Amino acid sequence: MKHTLSILLQNESGALLRVAGLFAARHVNIDALTVAVTHDPGVSQLTLVLHGDAGVLEQILRQLRKLVDVLDASSLSLVGSGERSRLVATSA
Amino acid sequence: MTLSQATAAVTAAPPVLHPCAGQSMTGAEIVVQVLADEGCRVLFGYSGGAILPVYDAVFRYNERHRTADGREPMPLIVPANEQGAGFMAAGHARATGDVGVAVVTSGPGATNLVTPIRDAMADSIPLVAICGQVPTALLGSDAFQEAPVAGIMGACAKHVFLVTEPTQLEATLRSAFEIARSGRPGPVVVDIPKNVQNAGLVFDGACRLPLPGYRARLRAIEQAHLDDAACNELLRALAQARRPLIYAGGGVIAAGAAAALATFVDTFGVPVTTTLMGLGGFDTTHPLALHLLGMHGTAHANYAVEDCDFLLALGARFDDRVAGVPAQFAPRARFIAQIDIDPAEIGKVKRVDWHHAGPLAPALERLVAHGRARGLRPQLAPWHAHIAALKRRHALDWDRASAAIQPQAVIEAINRITRGEAIISTGVGQHQMWAAQYFDFRRPRHWLTSGSMGTMGFGLPAAIGAQLARPDALVIDIDGDGSIRMNLGELETVTTYDLPIKIVVLNNRGDGMVRQWQRLFFAGRFAATDKNLHRKDFVRAAQADGFEWARRLEDKAALDATIEAFLAHPGPAFLEVMIDPEAGVYPMVGPGANYAQMVTGPFIAARSATPVSEAEVPATAMF
Ligand SMILES: Cc1ncc(C[n+]2csc(CCOP(=O)(O)OP(=O)(O)O)c2C)c(N)n1
Ligand SMILES: [Mg+2]
Repeated sequence: MKHTLSILLQNESGALLRVAGLFAARHVNIDALTVAVTHDPGVSQLTLVLHGDAGVLEQILRQLRKLVDVLDASSLSLVGSGERSRLVATSA
Repeated sequence: MTLSQATAAVTAAPPVLHPCAGQSMTGAEIVVQVLADEGCRVLFGYSGGAILPVYDAVFRYNERHRTADGREPMPLIVPANEQGAGFMAAGHARATGDVGVAVVTSGPGATNLVTPIRDAMADSIPLVAICGQVPTALLGSDAFQEAPVAGIMGACAKHVFLVTEPTQLEATLRSAFEIARSGRPGPVVVDIPKNVQNAGLVFDGACRLPLPGYRARLRAIEQAHLDDAACNELLRALAQARRPLIYAGGGVIAAGAAAALATFVDTFGVPVTTTLMGLGGFDTTHPLALHLLGMHGTAHANYAVEDCDFLLALGARFDDRVAGVPAQFAPRARFIAQIDIDPAEIGKVKRVDWHHAGPLAPALERLVAHGRARGLRPQLAPWHAHIAALKRRHALDWDRASAAIQPQAVIEAINRITRGEAIISTGVGQHQMWAAQYFDFRRPRHWLTSGSMGTMGFGLPAAIGAQLARPDALVIDIDGDGSIRMNLGELETVTTYDLPIKIVVLNNRGDGMVRQWQRLFFAGRFAATDKNLHRKDFVRAAQADGFEWARRLEDKAALDATIEAFLAHPGPAFLEVMIDPEAGVYPMVGPGANYAQMVTGPFIAARSATPVSEAEVPATAMF
């Protein structure tokens, strides 16, 4: 199953590498990744797509929350339909 | 305040101003001052160009702060190889619970430290490693002795900092200690470019990095409190259990929860088996102690896991050396509970019926208080009798009649004298497993072994670190002929610093553990593991490195007297014991097998004859 994650990351040296490295080390493929600036220049917003079962999703979220630079990590799900659909954080 | 403002070093109001606050210092001087403030009493490391400013600051600090009896307050212990420095720092940390510190130069100095950093990560050992780095202006230019330390170590450590902004150095270093020791402990690497070490700065004395994400999660987990409902649920299941068992891991030791565990056991009468990392977390001489479980666990511990109907995992993670087949682990347990400081370990391998992610000692204390208040006293006499019978019938044993010296006899002879009070370090292999099985472990932090990584070469430098931490303790390295070769250069470190370490090499002329697998699974083809033709004379090597007491033991009749003389020698001592090269480690739960299929070998009684046949083991399961 496909999952979309939202990660708030402190802009520290090597922080993005540590996130990507975590996925590589745990054998979870990153299908898509975008990095965006936020209103705070010290913080980036990562949106990341992966596929895997609920166990994979839960474990990768828990591991992400152990990274010192990660401010927040959550799974997004699509609610609504058509033009009015949007992604909201779920508590997985 | 925006988060970016928060990322600037913040100064928490200290209770008293640091005596050096406001003083001008170089970055290197700040490094040394923070190390002193964090309680660091010894450093391990090898010098080099990119770390010279820090080494010079250590030298000056030690000159200025000599103790009344002329000793250096922060001696710098120099290994033969930076890997040795890392394992010394780890040995120090494992023997005390304090953060171990290694300080190395850039490039090769840092890369030599990768193995001990990963080893510490895998066993949750608190370390701070300080690496020199090329000046910031040269970063990324393939400069002399430049290595991408943040990238390499980031994949291995709990965290890594590259300090590019000199004003952040002090806060970063203090935060590195905080991260290393808090939550689930681990190694933190601080990479410091040379110009940052040389920068002129003003010492603050209290600043830390804000670490908003880490701190918020840490606070939540440290304050996680077992409420009445959770206590009730666990204790109700315990009250209903007829055959409850505790499975205690290294987390008991890391959490300082051994006393709380002992009280829990005294209150409720639940027997305990410990993992390799958990040895010492519960007194193995206690009547309810089952000693080691797992691949080379005692038969009685593994049978008890088979038989239990309730399992409480404490600071343990169901890893593959314990739960090789998770679905078949503790197959009769109707209720599995888990307490761990790391939420990611809850249910990671095995689904649990109850869990608590939080500090272990207060959780156990709370359960004891809750159970006492309600008069919970499980009636477990039949289970206790069963446990006693398992321990009697399936006790560890070996070929006592053999003319050759059996390794188990060596460990037993040492244990008769040390009685669980010595600090034991090991290499990796059969000797490590025999040491784990045949020593008594009466208290935490007396057993130093590379558990998760299984790193050969760990034993000797770890013993050095432990002896420096506990100068009055008897420290014994039980090593293998293969393992000790990996860091043999550290023999000289022992004599240089005149450490009274006792080194035992159980020489079976090769990589015994690998041979055991080759015997079982590769039809006895000993590819690259037979060292009969190797010419190493360990005793002369030890003598060359300054060991005055260095002997080889080949005669079984001389075993007891030799061990006694060896342990009684006041200084460094080296004993090579030529053991039966055919000796195997039993019991063994083979790869892909469950505990009922455990092979107990020729000298330990098995409960049933259902060993897994070689043909049943898929090649892919063999690791
Ligand atoms: C650094 C490292 N390389 C390889 C191994 C794989 N390995 C595990 S045990 C072992 C043999 C160890 O030989 P020795 O130290 O003599 O111990 P013995 O099993 O003979 O007691 C080997 C090669 C390892 N654990 N660590
Ligand atoms: Mg050997």
